Amino acid sequence: MASFLMDGGVAVAKMFNAIVSADTLQATLDSVSVLVDECKIHLNDEGLEIRAVDPANVGMVDLTLEAAAFESYETDGGLIGVNLSRLEDIAGMADAGQLVHLELDEETRKLHIAIDGLEYTLALIDPDSIRQEPDLPDLDLAAHVVIEGKDIDRSVTAADMVSDHIALGVDATDELFYVDAEGDTDDVHLELDREDLIDLTPGDAHSLFSLDYLQNMNKAIPKDAEVRMELGDEFPVKMHFDFAEGQGSVTYMLAPRIQSE
Amino acid sequence: MRLDEFIEGFDRDEAAERRRLAEEKSYEITNHLEDVERQFEETVQGDALFGSTAPEIFVGRSGYPDVSTGVLSPMASDADAGQFATSGQWYRDGLGIDDVLQRRTGMLNSTRSANVDVSDVWDGFVGTQREVAIADHPVDVEVGLDGTPDLDVSFDDIGTPTGPRARATNADLAENPHVPRAVEKTLEDDDWQAEGAMNYLYRRGFDVYEVNTILSAGALGQRRQRTLVPTRWSITAVDDTVGQYLRGTIQNCNTIDQTEVWYNEYMGNRYWVLMAPGQWEFELVEMKAPESVWNPTGQTHYLASANEGYEGRTGYVEETAGAYYASRLGVLEHLQERDRQAKCLVLREVTDDYWAPVGVWQVREGVRNAFEEGVARETNESDGDAAYQDQPAVAESFRDAVTAVTEQLPVSLGTLRRKSDMVAGLQSTLADF
Repeated sequence: MASFLMDGGVAVAKMFNAIVSADTLQATLDSVSVLVDECKIHLNDEGLEIRAVDPANVGMVDLTLEAAAFESYETDGGLIGVNLSRLEDIAGMADAGQLVHLELDEETRKLHIAIDGLEYTLALIDPDSIRQEPDLPDLDLAAHVVIEGKDIDRSVTAADMVSDHIALGVDATDELFYVDAEGDTDDVHLELDREDLIDLTPGDAHSLFSLDYLQNMNKAIPKDAEVRMELGDEFPVKMHFDFAEGQGSVTYMLAPRIQSE
Repeated sequence: MRLDEFIEGFDRDEAAERRRLAEEKSYEITNHLEDVERQFEETVQGDALFGSTAPEIFVGRSGYPDVSTGVLSPMASDADAGQFATSGQWYRDGLGIDDVLQRRTGMLNSTRSANVDVSDVWDGFVGTQREVAIADHPVDVEVGLDGTPDLDVSFDDIGTPTGPRARATNADLAENPHVPRAVEKTLEDDDWQAEGAMNYLYRRGFDVYEVNTILSAGALGQRRQRTLVPTRWSITAVDDTVGQYLRGTIQNCNTIDQTEVWYNEYMGNRYWVLMAPGQWEFELVEMKAPESVWNPTGQTHYLASANEGYEGRTGYVEETAGAYYASRLGVLEHLQERDRQAKCLVLREVTDDYWAPVGVWQVREGVRNAFEEGVARETNESDGDAAYQDQPAVAESFRDAVTAVTEQLPVSLGTLRRKSDMVAGLQSTLADF
């Protein structure tokens, strides 16, 4: 799917009419709302794309959802701005497997949302009033790890018991991925070797991260997802996973806490 | 690096001597309380009507929403009541712990229990108390007392100590208090949220001490929500609210361009403020010496810390309590003055010279005055030279600054790293890569 984010002056969307399963919609919104309260959604023939960075410019999400992930999908392209927590609340009214109908009213700049007879009209936000989308940093990260979502969950949960931050690293010599957390008195350490991981491209890497951010991102990562993690030495971590049966994809990027300066 | 010129640790071998002095000081206070009792007997007239000038009020927190609420007034009839109210002036006057205790124990807290819901109460005891709180000068009051006062001193880690207490039957104004116009404005507007009104008063030049008293009396906020606010809570509420306002004003400022270390020492507390270039981030780490007042039985230093990132905290701090908000206010005031943001780490060492808690104002003034240019204070007690502190020490990097300061600290770098998020690592942004 071609990225169209960097094209200047994207027009406000005029037509958008789609039906999507509640699960897919909820997964999409959850992945973004862990970082920001409002976002711009880019619509085009091939699907939708969201890119957002938190106000501190520490955590970033880049999400795409292909048109094929929808039951039906029509748009003439463009941009809408939404309040994510409100849209999340509405989507939360649907049961798993139920369908959600989204239709943009061009005149009123409102999004009509219908769930099995329940209708909700959501006022959209002027996209220009939403924080500007970030450029994707071009990072050359030495170590690549493919890890199960549940192992990220385990690491983050254990680290949180002792500390507010967590070190992620790869030992290139011993070919293993490790997690370290140091608290006032207690420590947590976890090692995963080739056996425990889905894949490993060794390279020396060690970076410290704020657990607040990682915990939020972890909430949106399905436990059974294969997460491709890219790591460097005091560099941001990239975490990539698919959802909606491979028709949606999310990349998180998180800036480290710097130990050496 | 110019850090080494900067702080000499005081000699720890003198600890025993200092404890002995501290004990003597506490006996001085006992003697002082006897004087107070005598003064009280002289002051209270036959019908137990006590005429005095009240600079401050006190609202207790136990039993909330039915709390003990009082008017504080000095018992010595010739006293300058204004000097008895907690303020930054106490620091500028160089008050020590014993001075503070003397002032506070010299004030009678005439209390009554009252419900905190005071939205329309401007008469009776609570009404008088509220008038005292919003006035810009100490107010003459007459208090009817029920029985003799209880000569005791109560301490709190946040509030300033209070002295003798007596139950009041009634209180009346003996003059028409003068209320500043800005306060009248916040009072009259019954649809103004307390946070906004606090910040308004602060911007109009009221220091947090005055705002705190006004808030405590239930004189700010939307009419239906106006309640008496326990003194302890209102101190932290004002520090936090004004701090959030100040943080908002610096979040888009440029950052400072070098790593700075500022230092101050006050009442047995030592403060290092480390500021590094970058986006706002704040942390307070406290190291409390064994046998200091909040760690009386400990064998080692008791450590506590709390921190916030660029956007601030979502919950109340779990450790360090009011000291966190008080020290953050001092740092933010300094940054706002410079129109800069920075990553700020405050290290507070509580030595065993801090033998009685005087309230969180001591932390606020200790940090505020770490930055004061031209306000020369001795940074070194152990020799006669007056080492004046009006410029920061400058370090190559935050890491260098931490390493150098750690040499002065009672804990190791390793211990500090485990306790401090900022020492473990400073938060970078995606734009840095």
